[in-house]
Amino acid sequence: MDLLDVTDLTKRYGGIVALGGVNFSARAGEVHALLGENGAGKSTLIQVLAGAVRYDSGRIRLDGADYAPRSPDEARARGIAAVFQELSLVPDLTIEQNIWFRREPLSPLGTVRSRAMRERTLALFERYRFPTLRPDQEVRRLTLAERQIVEIAKGLAGDPRVLILDEATSTLPAREAQWVLDLTRQLAAEGKLVVFISHRMDEVRHIADRLTIFRNGQTVAAHTATAVGDDEIVAQMLGRKLDRLYPERIATTTGVPALRVNDLDAGKHVKRVSFELEEGEVLGVGGLQGHGQRELFQALFGTTRSTGAIEVWGRRTNIRSPRQALVGRDGLALVPEDRRGQGLLLSKSVRENLTISVIRRFADWGLLSETKEAALVREMVEFLRIKTSTPEQPAGTLSGGNQQKVIFGKMLLTEARILLLYDPTRGVDVGTKGEIFQLMRDLAAKGYAILFYSSDLPELVHVADRVLVMRNGEIAATLAGAANSEEGILRASVFDRQAA
Amino acid sequence: MNRPASNIGGIAASPLTNNGDAPPAPRRQFDARGYALDRAPFLVACLMLVVIVGLYGSLQSGVFTLDELNLDTTATLTLLLAATGQTIVLLRGGIDLSIGGVISFGTVLAATHFGDDPGSVLLWSAIVLAVGFGVGMLNGLLISALRLQPFLITLATWSILSGASLMVLPTDGGQVPSWWQAIGSASWLGLASPVWMLLALLVFWFWFRSTRLGIALKATGSNERSAFLSGVSLTRMNLVTYGLSGLFAAAAALYLTTQTGAGSPTIGKDYILPSVAAAVIGGVSLFGGRGNLAGTAVGAFILTIIGNLVFVLHVSSYWQPVAQGAILLIAVLASSLAEKAAQGQDR
Repeated sequence: MDLLDVTDLTKRYGGIVALGGVNFSARAGEVHALLGENGAGKSTLIQVLAGAVRYDSGRIRLDGADYAPRSPDEARARGIAAVFQELSLVPDLTIEQNIWFRREPLSPLGTVRSRAMRERTLALFERYRFPTLRPDQEVRRLTLAERQIVEIAKGLAGDPRVLILDEATSTLPAREAQWVLDLTRQLAAEGKLVVFISHRMDEVRHIADRLTIFRNGQTVAAHTATAVGDDEIVAQMLGRKLDRLYPERIATTTGVPALRVNDLDAGKHVKRVSFELEEGEVLGVGGLQGHGQRELFQALFGTTRSTGAIEVWGRRTNIRSPRQALVGRDGLALVPEDRRGQGLLLSKSVRENLTISVIRRFADWGLLSETKEAALVREMVEFLRIKTSTPEQPAGTLSGGNQQKVIFGKMLLTEARILLLYDPTRGVDVGTKGEIFQLMRDLAAKGYAILFYSSDLPELVHVADRVLVMRNGEIAATLAGAANSEEGILRASVFDRQAA
Repeated sequence: MNRPASNIGGIAASPLTNNGDAPPAPRRQFDARGYALDRAPFLVACLMLVVIVGLYGSLQSGVFTLDELNLDTTATLTLLLAATGQTIVLLRGGIDLSIGGVISFGTVLAATHFGDDPGSVLLWSAIVLAVGFGVGMLNGLLISALRLQPFLITLATWSILSGASLMVLPTDGGQVPSWWQAIGSASWLGLASPVWMLLALLVFWFWFRSTRLGIALKATGSNERSAFLSGVSLTRMNLVTYGLSGLFAAAAALYLTTQTGAGSPTIGKDYILPSVAAAVIGGVSLFGGRGNLAGTAVGAFILTIIGNLVFVLHVSSYWQPVAQGAILLIAVLASSLAEKAAQGQDR
């Protein structure tokens, strides 16, 4: 009988359907992979299983009994432990304190028996052949990879029947990643169920007994791993999507290089990135989330330190802070990822938000010229069709799409002609999305150069002239023309470079 | 198990054949530099204390005696008790300004209600402690329920209690029985009672910090969301931490009355920021999660003895706050430099 059996599970967040009928079953003693694009519903399902999120309807049975956990504690008590990407460790506690947090062995005085805790830690490390870690080290001092390993140890500490690993290998170097793969087989051999999420198809191929494919919040297929080919998997992950949203794409590049990046390194996430963005071009940046796209944008905008050569309109530049990046017609302007947190002052008016970056332009001898400001603001509100009662309306009261337009307006007013758009359509309604795409193509035709990241594949395919696919911080492929397809991007994102 | 070799590049060896050794990360030996850097703020505080006491001892005779220890501890204990509660709250990532109100209110209640008989003293001591604990729990409850800044909530309760203190006793005065005052100057085995209280406080701390509650407290201050995801109730944590803080402030008030013999409706404010300063000098982080009471004790002693030092230097007593500020700056600078050094070491 199946250890875990999920039937017709649904979950909505407001108007958004996160899970729209998920069916999934898995046996004890197997490694079961979940596959699908970002946002296909895998994460929501495992959050439900881990007790972090409650589902709306459907049924989950664990070992034949109904299972509807109300908290992570309850899930753990029932034998389901999840290792999330969002790390749950406490930086100021030691490794062992973290592993046994709230399960510490206690003395009669109510104090933690540290020797017993050490023994248990070492026994756990030995049983699963953990890479060597000092149990008394504070987590604060660990690398991301080491933290991920501790996180796995914490998941195993309660000796669960079901272990869920969400992209557990994505931050690990090769040896440690290999260890995780070995671990999943060992756990399966012990009769446990391992639910494994990874975007690295080669890993899934090596360890999974079965796999379930998600698309748009639903499960579309389940396969025995040996009985299905890669092409079929990719086809099922993608499905068919509508494309009427997108404007006609006419090449408007002039051949003049606007931004030339050579061997850019930023932190651990951007490695030797080189590319050229031309005047009049929309250059897409794709790849799975967390493969260095965010850091690339931050480095270009000057909020993350980087090394490498950046040429802006043919001039070698060092961008060290946003103020430097923003200067005048030769500058760069960014539409940031976190609209409400970074892009807008929500309690301030539309007018103030539009002009905050360029306030100096309205100043005569240090005094603000309100007429100049008002004229430009009116022009921008009309140009972008921002739906606001007056320019004095607080930006926080606008709809998501209109907030995004205000950010666009703010960016355009800087007169910078290189635009960095980081997921500009996230959380924006379909109508406004279409307007934004049209705006992007119009701006490109006027000679703007646009670098455009999106987590949505069709947007890249239909709006960008070329697409850079990032994988592990490097540019895995540059796709143009016929190669710029959803399948091409996905392949370059998940497979090794030699296979792409 | 039988699976086809994947046609996609990547891992060459099958994981199933690679069951030999675990992938070794380089084994790390005990790392003295990292250990010292982790405790740098505390070590710097100890160093400063040694220097200050050394300086004081070279200018004044009789510093390295039990008498001096007794005197300094007696002078420090009120601040240290207040700072104990503050340390607990700071570790959780909060701050408690209301201790000023609790101390004032505690002293005026004691000075107006303590009778000569032990029964009434016991009763009203219990009431003072209960008021402190209750006000603290109320702080915790309001912070959790209203999701407001601890700074604002405790500022408000401080103000309310200050007013209440003035209603009970408009000016300094009242009195406590002489035998109660004698408790504060009693001595056993050559050590004054405040020294014994200090030892008890440290014993309490070393017990408390290794309980589940103590670990959860540190965890919550270090990363609230992680602690919550691991099952810590933040409301309960706030009730306990602010409750304990109020309790220790009330204890500070009771101890203070053994020293002054009277109540004061305004004395509490003198302990609010010094309690934070003592903790920070001793290495407690204002952002939660890091520090311990031993550091706070060192910080409290530094703040007291710097006053003695200014006195024996025969300069204006106005130099005392100047010196205290300089010490605070050194402490903050040291911990920030150590943090940078430690991060540099890891990268």
